[in-house]
Amino acid sequence: MLSRLKRTVNNVNLIRFRNIIQILTFILFIYGGYFAIDLGSRLPIFACPYNDTTSGACYLIPLQHQLSMPTQVLLGGASIAVITGILVFLFWFVFLNKAWCGYVCPFGTLQDWMTKLRKSIGIRYSTYTQHQFEKLSKIKYIFLFIVLVFPLLMGVGLLGSEWSAAFCKICPARIITPMFSGDFSQWAIDFSSKTAILLTTLGVVFAGLFFIGSFIKKRFFCFFCPMSALHYIFSKISIVQFKKDGSKCTRCGDCYAVCDMQIKDIADNVTDTNILRDDCILCLKCIAACPEDDVLHFDIFKIKAFTSTKEGFEKRMGIEYLKANNDK
Amino acid sequence: MTSKFKHDIESPLQKQNRHKAMEAIRIINTLKDDFKNPIESMNYFYKLFEDVFCNQKSLHDGKLKVGTMCIQIPSEIIYALDAVPIRLCNGFYSDDEIGSDYMPQKSCPLVRSTVGHFASGNFSDKPHLIYSPTTCDQKTKAGVTIESFGYEVVDVDFPRVKDSEISREYFRRSIREFAIDLSKKTGNKLNKKSLKQSIAKIGYAQSLYHKLCEYRKKKNIVISGNDMFFVTNAFFFDKIDSWIDACENLLKECKQREDENLFVNGKISPRIVYTGSPPIFPNYKVPIVIEESDGIIVADETCSSNRMFNDRVAVDEWFVNDMLDSMADKYLKACTCPIFTKNDDRIRRIIDLVKTYSADGVVYQSFAGCTVYEAEQRSVLEAMEKEGIPILYIESDYSPSQGGQLTTRVEAFIESLKTRKRIKK
Ligand code: SF4
Ligand code: SF4
Ligand code: SF4
Ligand code: SF4
Ligand code: SF4
Repeated sequence: MLSRLKRTVNNVNLIRFRNIIQILTFILFIYGGYFAIDLGSRLPIFACPYNDTTSGACYLIPLQHQLSMPTQVLLGGASIAVITGILVFLFWFVFLNKAWCGYVCPFGTLQDWMTKLRKSIGIRYSTYTQHQFEKLSKIKYIFLFIVLVFPLLMGVGLLGSEWSAAFCKICPARIITPMFSGDFSQWAIDFSSKTAILLTTLGVVFAGLFFIGSFIKKRFFCFFCPMSALHYIFSKISIVQFKKDGSKCTRCGDCYAVCDMQIKDIADNVTDTNILRDDCILCLKCIAACPEDDVLHFDIFKIKAFTSTKEGFEKRMGIEYLKANNDK
Repeated sequence: MTSKFKHDIESPLQKQNRHKAMEAIRIINTLKDDFKNPIESMNYFYKLFEDVFCNQKSLHDGKLKVGTMCIQIPSEIIYALDAVPIRLCNGFYSDDEIGSDYMPQKSCPLVRSTVGHFASGNFSDKPHLIYSPTTCDQKTKAGVTIESFGYEVVDVDFPRVKDSEISREYFRRSIREFAIDLSKKTGNKLNKKSLKQSIAKIGYAQSLYHKLCEYRKKKNIVISGNDMFFVTNAFFFDKIDSWIDACENLLKECKQREDENLFVNGKISPRIVYTGSPPIFPNYKVPIVIEESDGIIVADETCSSNRMFNDRVAVDEWFVNDMLDSMADKYLKACTCPIFTKNDDRIRRIIDLVKTYSADGVVYQSFAGCTVYEAEQRSVLEAMEKEGIPILYIESDYSPSQGGQLTTRVEAFIESLKTRKRIKK
């Protein structure tokens, strides 16, 4: 019974499964407000509160606000609120970890839809060279620095209030997600100060780049996302883990070939058992594409929830289908 | 009066054919008759080899036949362009003798006999053109010699470092060039549908091999290693659809044999993983000695069998270029051939095979003159020692004369494995 269930799960058509989850969660997070759903404002995804119909909100905005409080307030009266905030965030995060990115984040889903659009037109994706990749993927730490350190500098008075929630000003999600509920007002530049002009201009530019970039490159924005960096920092304590048994890996590179995030280690590293990398979005496409039994697996509470199998590989690559054809 | 009295003078070509037929039939008969519990559905393969190598029967008349010098040329592309791939690695001693006039004395018998085959031009299915990946020195140079016989040989750039990103890019480009070149020569265009279909077909053929191997993991074995080599060698030249049907039958029979407790191994027959220079029909010298001495080959790491079938192409977006790139990756990255600079993958693979197939020991054959396999012998032996896996290293060639000494060594190794097993019990 259990082995049958396992087999069904491992043979799942991951693409279809993911599509469905992504559509459902997109609707939930973009329009959930209409149904009075409220999941709080500590979510580890870009469900942006600037979209006023969202059912839950991105943690980065409260985080920046809290960190920018004057030090005495931050360490004094507000500390409880800050700590509970972090704990709630951590709870979400422990619960799904990066799978939020691969399955839930509306901003991630949007990028996948851009990919679909490109595919339907018949244009091939582009990739970074390994060298570019290594450089670009560091940018998210610069953004993370803006998220975490700029507010602190405000708190100690080194930066002025026009820097408040600086990352949100440049975040393309602020501009793009409200569009889905008919609000285009964020496509504007704030002329109130030089800093505001700079930041909001960057925001508009990034939003434009988002569309172009994610049309050409799979998950274009996720390479730069500071949330993804935050996830990674806490990934060890999550109940979901992403593991590899290198002894059985043939380094065939199938997993690498399908990885939207171009994570080379997924194929080449045969010594680390924990194979989650900072760019990973836990989409699990690599597991689905691995032709060897039990090499890559996604664990929940240390139990293999989804694991690579020969049979599953054959199903997903359309190899079984041929048999039916042959039998005719 | 009648032809009965006419004296036929045998042409050199006929003579060579006769010699090859003799070589071939000896092996076929050994497999057919000398082992216990023969498998009925293997008869398809025995007959196939007899047809092709004894009776010179052509299987692919009317098709463009594309010869390949090694497994690194994706047959998926060849099929998608409506041509047939024929792998040219050769195992005949008669051809080896001819080939030694063209290659250095110390070159490997596989290369020599491949060259010899071309020198005699005596094919049941003569390739129209040949693609030769630049793998080992001897193969690359053999390509030049073969060209001098008037064949069209196209070199396919192949990198000899496999871990680097540069190599990956390089081989991706190389495979694209190959696809374009072959497409010009066939006059067909590569399209999404045909490529996808041939990926699925090869993938399916591979899956049958994998299913057969599942039986070899079990405690009692329904199919011998030599029969498996027949099956995989047949893939070099057979019609793919017939090969698929034959394997499906074989699978059915394996199931049946399992139910009927018909096994090929004895009570304590040592389980062997075979690695090294590829056994290619009819040069099954070493595998046959192993199994005649009561060893049983449960798995192998050779490019004439396991390595050829193991890894499969995975594609994300089914565009022609995406498929080509994935293929290039698979053929390069998964390959455990010793021509690459580093060989950790090969060692890991052998260890993994020993574990998953519960093997008792490893036999490592290297053709005399095959520098790369000879060179890797040391590191593999060291690694096995570290893992506590008994290993026997054998240097061999295609000559029939080596028999006695070889048999003694293999038998002694098998005996020692048996003793180990008995003690463990
Ligand atoms: S990495 Fe991508 S999917 Fe994950 S939170 Fe950032 S934008 Fe969303
Ligand atoms: S603007 Fe970006 S970082 Fe700020 S709350 Fe919205 S999604 Fe989060
Ligand atoms: S697909 Fe599987 S076997 Fe191939 S490199 Fe990736 S993890 Fe290893
Ligand atoms: S490593 Fe695997 S799970 Fe992570 S992004 Fe790449 S394909 Fe998805
Ligand atoms: S040993 Fe290596 S180069 Fe030689 S035929 Fe096999 S895979 Fe090709």
